[in-house]
Amino acid sequence: MPSTALALTPGLASFLKSLKTNPIDTSIENLVSLLKRRQIRHSRSCATATAYLLLRVVSACRTSESAKLIERVQSVGRRLMAAQPREMVVGNIVRRVLGLIRDEAEDDREAEFALSEAGSESQPQTPRAFDDSSLPLDRDMLSLRGEGAERSTSRPPLTSMFSLLSHPEPEHSLPSTPGTQSPNGRLFSPGQSKDVRAEVLEGINEIIDELGQVDDQIAAYALDHIHSNEIILTHTSSTTVQKFLLKAAAKRKFTVIIAESFPNNHEATHATISGTSLGDDENLTFDSFQKPLIAHGITVILIPDSAVFALMSRVNKVILGTHSVLANGGLVASAGTRVIARAAKVHQTPVVVVSGVYKLSPVYPFDFDSLIEYGDASKVLPYEDGDLVDKIDVQNPIYDYVPAELIDLYITNLGGHAPSYLYRIVSDHYRKEDISF
Amino acid sequence: MATTSESTATAVAKPFDIVATYNELLRSDPDLTMPIAAIEALVLLLTHEPSSTISETLDLLAKSTAHLKKSIPNPIGLSAGTDLFQRYLITTLQRPGQLGPAGDFKAIRTHLLSNGRLFIRRAKESREKIAAFGRGFIRDGCTVLTNGGSRAVASLLQKAADEEGGPSAVRFNVIYVLSSISKDIEGPSGEPEGMETVRALRAKGVPVSTIPESAVAYALGKADMVIVGAEGVVENGGIVSRMGTYQIGILAKAIGKPFYVVAESHKFVRLYPLGQYDLPIEQHVVEFKTEEDIAHKSAQQKSVESDADRPVELPLEDSVDFTPPHLISALITDSGVLTPSAVSEELIKIWF
Repeated sequence: MPSTALALTPGLASFLKSLKTNPIDTSIENLVSLLKRRQIRHSRSCATATAYLLLRVVSACRTSESAKLIERVQSVGRRLMAAQPREMVVGNIVRRVLGLIRDEAEDDREAEFALSEAGSESQPQTPRAFDDSSLPLDRDMLSLRGEGAERSTSRPPLTSMFSLLSHPEPEHSLPSTPGTQSPNGRLFSPGQSKDVRAEVLEGINEIIDELGQVDDQIAAYALDHIHSNEIILTHTSSTTVQKFLLKAAAKRKFTVIIAESFPNNHEATHATISGTSLGDDENLTFDSFQKPLIAHGITVILIPDSAVFALMSRVNKVILGTHSVLANGGLVASAGTRVIARAAKVHQTPVVVVSGVYKLSPVYPFDFDSLIEYGDASKVLPYEDGDLVDKIDVQNPIYDYVPAELIDLYITNLGGHAPSYLYRIVSDHYRKEDISF
Repeated sequence: MATTSESTATAVAKPFDIVATYNELLRSDPDLTMPIAAIEALVLLLTHEPSSTISETLDLLAKSTAHLKKSIPNPIGLSAGTDLFQRYLITTLQRPGQLGPAGDFKAIRTHLLSNGRLFIRRAKESREKIAAFGRGFIRDGCTVLTNGGSRAVASLLQKAADEEGGPSAVRFNVIYVLSSISKDIEGPSGEPEGMETVRALRAKGVPVSTIPESAVAYALGKADMVIVGAEGVVENGGIVSRMGTYQIGILAKAIGKPFYVVAESHKFVRLYPLGQYDLPIEQHVVEFKTEEDIAHKSAQQKSVESDADRPVELPLEDSVDFTPPHLISALITDSGVLTPSAVSEELIKIWF
C-alpha cells in the first residue's frame, strides 16, 4: 500500500485512490489507521470512506448466503467502529448496509414464498386466485418500504406490542425459514443469492449517491426557512449550512452572523467567508467552486463565539451544522454550539439544525461525556509557553453535546422534523437487530 | 368468591366470573402485571365459553371487558391488556396466512388458549429485555432516585447490581422514596410498598437510602437521575403511576435531572388524559369536609352499604396520578428506549 499512499497526504482522497488497487484487508487496515490517527475527520468523509470500503468488501465477498455476508460486514464494521467510536457516522453506514442485506434477503425469501404459493394456487389460472395471493403481498411491500422495521406476510405478528401474543416460532428466526412452511425449505438457490449481492451493491451505491447529494437536498428547503432581511446566526464552517445559506442568498437578501470557533475551526471559518479554500481533502468531495456568501451580496458579520449572547437579541434564527445526531433528538456538534443553543433559548430564538440523515445515529446517549472528544491542547496554549503548560491543565474539547430541548427543528434531506420525531427516522433507516452489533 | 382455574375445570356449569378470575390471578402471582392478568382472564374466559364464530367471540370479549372495567377501581392497566388482546385477534383475522380469513378460526383460538402460560412468561421476559436496555443508564458512581413498587424498576436495578463483581461491575447508590400513605393492610407487617426491593438491593450490596416523599426535593440534588415505573403509558407518552410520581417529575425537571420511565410495551394504553382529573378513575384524594359532613357521612355509611350502580372507588393508598410527557426524558421499554412521542405511534400501529 505505501507507494500510492505516500504520494498524497493520507486522507480520504488517498484512501479512495488506494482502494482500487489494494487488497481488501490492506484497505481495511488502512482505513482503521486513518480513523485512529484522525487523518480522516468530518462526518461526511468518514461516511464516504466507510461506504466505499463496504462496497469493496461486499463485492469481494464471494459467498452465496446473506447470513455470511452480514457476518462479514459486521466484523469489518466492528473494527472500524472500534477504531474511532466517536465518529458515529461510520457505525451508521455499517448499520444501513446491514439493513440493506437483511432487506434484500427477506424480500427474496418473500418473493420465493409468494411465487411458490401463487404457483400452487393459480393452477386454475383464474385471475381471482392470483389476486388473492399477490395483493396482500404488495400492500405489505409498501408498508415495508414505509416502516422499515416491520416485516413480511409470513410472520404473523407485525408490531412489537403484539409480540407478546404472537406465535412462538418466529421470534428469533431471522436466518431460518419464516413461520409458515414454505414448500421449498432451503433459503436461496445459488442463482438468486448472486442477485442479492448485486442488489446490495446497488443499495450501497445509492447510499454513496445520497452522501454526495445530501447538502443540495437540504439546501432545497432553504427558501422555506430564510426570509428577506432576516438576521441569521451560524457557527463554524459547516458545508451543509453554507450551501443552505447560499441557496437562499440566490433569491433573498439577508444578514449572516458567523461565530468562529476558536481554536479548532476559526481558520476554516475564515476561509469559508473569504472563499479561499483550505488545501485539505474536503476539496475532493465538496465543490469548492462555489462563490462565498459575500459574492452574493450578503452582509456577513464575523464574531468570536464569546459574543454570541450579546448579539442574540437581534438574531431572527440560528442555523447550526452538526457532527452527529442522536436517537433522543440531541446532537453532538463542534464546541460552542451548546452555548449558542442555550443563548437562543434564553432569547426565544428558533434553533434550526441542518443535517443529513446519514448523521442520524440510533445510539442512545447514555453517557454524554464519552461522546465528547478532546483535541490538541497546544491550539489553546502553544507549547512555546512550556513553563505555563507545566503549571496548569489545558483542555481543548472539540465537541459539545446539545440536549434535544434546545433544538426547535431538524432539517434533513427528508424534510423538517421536530426533535421528538427523530426516533421515527431512526426506525425507518436502521433495523432493530443492528443497533448494537 | 374466587374462581380458580382448577375449580373452573371441575364445575363447568357454574357461570364464569371474570372479575374474580382477574383478582385471583393478580393475587396468586405477585409478579403478574395488570394487563397480563387481564389477558389471562380473557383466555380463561374463552376456554370456558365455547364460541365458534368470530363475531360471537368478539362480542363476548367486548361484553366481558366492559364488565371487568366497570368492576375494577383502576381499569387503566387492565384495559391495556384487554385492548391488546382484542386488537391482536382482529388483526390476525384480517391478515392473510394460516390464521387469516382463509384459515381456520379454530387455529387462532387454539393458539390463544394453549399459550396462556407462554404469554405470562414472555411478559416476564420483557422485563429482562428492559433491564438489558436500561443497563446502559446506570453507570459507575451514579445515584438513582426511584419510588413505588414497580417490578420493572426492581428488575432493572437488580440486574445492574447483579453484575457487581463481574467484569462490568456497576457501583451505584439508590435513593428509595417510600410512600407514606400506602398502608398495605394485607401485607405481613404493613410496611410501605417497595421495601422488598430495598431489602433485595441491600442484600446485593447496593447502598440504599429510604426517604419519605416530603424529602424528594431535598434529596434530588444528590441523585443523578430518576427512574420510575408506570401502571399505564398513555397515548401522548405520559404515564399513569403511583401517587407522588408527578411531583417527582416536576421536581426532576426543575432541578434538571433526567426522568426515565421503565414500562413494558404491553402497558401502552389508548387513553389521552388532559390532566390530573381526567383519568377514568374514581378516586377522592382531595376531599373537602366540614365537621358536619363527617358526622353526616358516618351516619350514611351505616344505612347504605352497597350500591351496585355506583362506580367503584379507588382506595387512597392505591391512588394514582398522571405525569405529562414533557417531564419524561425517555421511556425504557422492551422495544427499546423511546421518546414519549413514540408511544402514540406504537399504539397507532396496533389500532389502525
